[in-house]
Amino acid sequence: MSATDTGGRVSRFGSAVAEGWTRERFGLLGAVALVLIALAPPFQVYLFTDFLVVALFALGFNLLYGYTGLLSFGHGLFYAGGAYGIAIVLRDLGPVIADVVGAGISPLVTFVLGGVVGLVLVVLVAVPVGWLSVRLEEIYFALITLAFGMLGYSLIIQDPAGLTNGTDGVIVLLGTVDLGGFSLRIGGRRIYYAISAVTVVAATYGVWRVVNSPFGTVCKAIRESPDRAAALGIDVGHHRWMTFIVSAAVVGIAGVLRAGLASVASPGLTHWSTSAIAVIATVIGGATYFYGPIVGAFIFLYIRWAISRFPALEAYWELFFGALLIAVVLFFKQGAVGGLLLLRDRLFGDGDGGGGGGALNGGQATAATDDGAESGDDNARADRGDNS
Amino acid sequence: MSFTPLVPLIGISDVVIGLSLGSRLFLIAVGLSLIFGVLGVLNFAHGGFYMLGAYVTLAVVSNVVDNFWIAVVVGALAVGVVGAAIEFSAIRRLYDRVDSDLDQLIVTFGFVLVIHEAVRFIWGSGSYSIDPPDVFNFSVMVGGSTFNAYRLVVIGLAVGVLVALWLFITRTYFGSLVRGTSSDREMAAMLGVDVPRLYTGVFFLGSVLAGLGGALSAPIQATSPALGDQVIIDAFIVVVIGGLGSMSGAFVGAMLIGMMQSLGPQFISAGSIAIPFLAMVIVLLIRPEGLFGGIGE
Repeated sequence: MSATDTGGRVSRFGSAVAEGWTRERFGLLGAVALVLIALAPPFQVYLFTDFLVVALFALGFNLLYGYTGLLSFGHGLFYAGGAYGIAIVLRDLGPVIADVVGAGISPLVTFVLGGVVGLVLVVLVAVPVGWLSVRLEEIYFALITLAFGMLGYSLIIQDPAGLTNGTDGVIVLLGTVDLGGFSLRIGGRRIYYAISAVTVVAATYGVWRVVNSPFGTVCKAIRESPDRAAALGIDVGHHRWMTFIVSAAVVGIAGVLRAGLASVASPGLTHWSTSAIAVIATVIGGATYFYGPIVGAFIFLYIRWAISRFPALEAYWELFFGALLIAVVLFFKQGAVGGLLLLRDRLFGDGDGGGGGGALNGGQATAATDDGAESGDDNARADRGDNS
Repeated sequence: MSFTPLVPLIGISDVVIGLSLGSRLFLIAVGLSLIFGVLGVLNFAHGGFYMLGAYVTLAVVSNVVDNFWIAVVVGALAVGVVGAAIEFSAIRRLYDRVDSDLDQLIVTFGFVLVIHEAVRFIWGSGSYSIDPPDVFNFSVMVGGSTFNAYRLVVIGLAVGVLVALWLFITRTYFGSLVRGTSSDREMAAMLGVDVPRLYTGVFFLGSVLAGLGGALSAPIQATSPALGDQVIIDAFIVVVIGGLGSMSGAFVGAMLIGMMQSLGPQFISAGSIAIPFLAMVIVLLIRPEGLFGGIGE
């Protein structure tokens, strides 16, 4: 298994676009695009906000899956944690905060405070859940996270503490900031889009910094070979635990934004079928790439929207994603981002001169293109030296 | 309904209902466990197979022959064919991968979506139910509580399947091949076992069991497209508690969860649906191999 990884690819991508396309120009172009989208028709603004939230959800999930190789089927728990955190603060503390800071500004203060509470709540849940879960690997990790997610689902539905309002969930009313002549409806499509865009971009940058830090490098080492990483003196369990917590926190932020967008924190957010959305988006986009989950979320939401244009097909969009998921895992594990990079290399030639785009992805890619790679696979299996 | 017995807190009917729920869970879980034990594949689509078995049976009874038992056989075999086709066309490609376990889980999850939508496309979103076969469609009254006699048939058949599977795995030539391949695939292949064919065969058998579970349960449940998603989670709980790969574990685990579903709400009003998941977490942490041993035990 060659040692290519996402970091290497990102830098290679950087060098490829260096002629005329610096990272700064790229960033500027992205910022302009984000501003222009705010001027789109309201439904398109809503759809794009939805995409941003799902993208952050998948990005957080992939921090664990793509970077440490742990597949969670329970990240809906943290998605819901963020959503319920802000929803309960808005419901129960709104009037109290209005008394303290004044009615005009209180919706904004409550919103920010609710977001912080949601995030803290998620971290408080993720610390013990992660500590317990990272003791297991592979299928067993998937099963225990699934169990934790469904445990959360059961507790939210049955509501023993009288906080979550059972199956109906908690309504989220964001309110209007009113300062003399200036008023701002936080839940308004465009305002909420602006809040979401800034939050998601900041969180994405944060995740990017984590991934490219020494910590992130260690995570990738663990993904490639837990045993070798351990042999180098890395505390594998501790790193997985820390990654689990960061991953959950990012998902929690997405959950906070989800509550405001949907105007409700509902128990369905903890159900495993919600956790599965992150899996679908990530796998379709390409789990080994930093931008994979974001591109996957884009495909997920916009293809779903495109399908909904056709009344005859509208009800069966899941069929499409099921088939796409199967096809990607079977035939093209690099996903959409891998496909785009491959396309770029085919069109513009390979700047690095490194034997075509097909080999971009080291072990994963050779495994995906079956046959001829069998000996390579055996080596890789021997590298891992476990899990059979 | 005339009076509530004070002394026997648990009605006989609740026990029978619990055991029949456990029996249907056993039929799906034992196939799931068998496939995992031999192939190492955790088949997320197994709940979909179960649901497909119920639908095919309903369709055969209402459209083709008015004989429940023939419909059950057709339903189970049809699901077996679907399962074998999925193994042959998709899952087989993943055995040699580095991260094969997770890739298999994701691919079978893709089939969860496909089967769910296919069922909805063919049979619609409504829910169906049929009466049990006439011979068994009467009420049994024990100690003031009643239940349908068909539930006893389901329990009996589940026990029969357990015994038959146990004999098959431990006493037949094919069973010894299954056990051998389960413990060491490379060695079995070297000794001349046609491993790919055996894998397809085991996947077929596991799928038939899921289809059989769905088919037999058609008279005691409402069959709707949501059924697959519901039972797969219960089946995961069962196989984790019983031990992935263990058949007797699947039986005990299934009966435990079935009884919990039937009796639980009477003892604990709040948090009762959380208990199976809590049990799953605890078993995974303390005894990830389950409360019972490996395959064939």
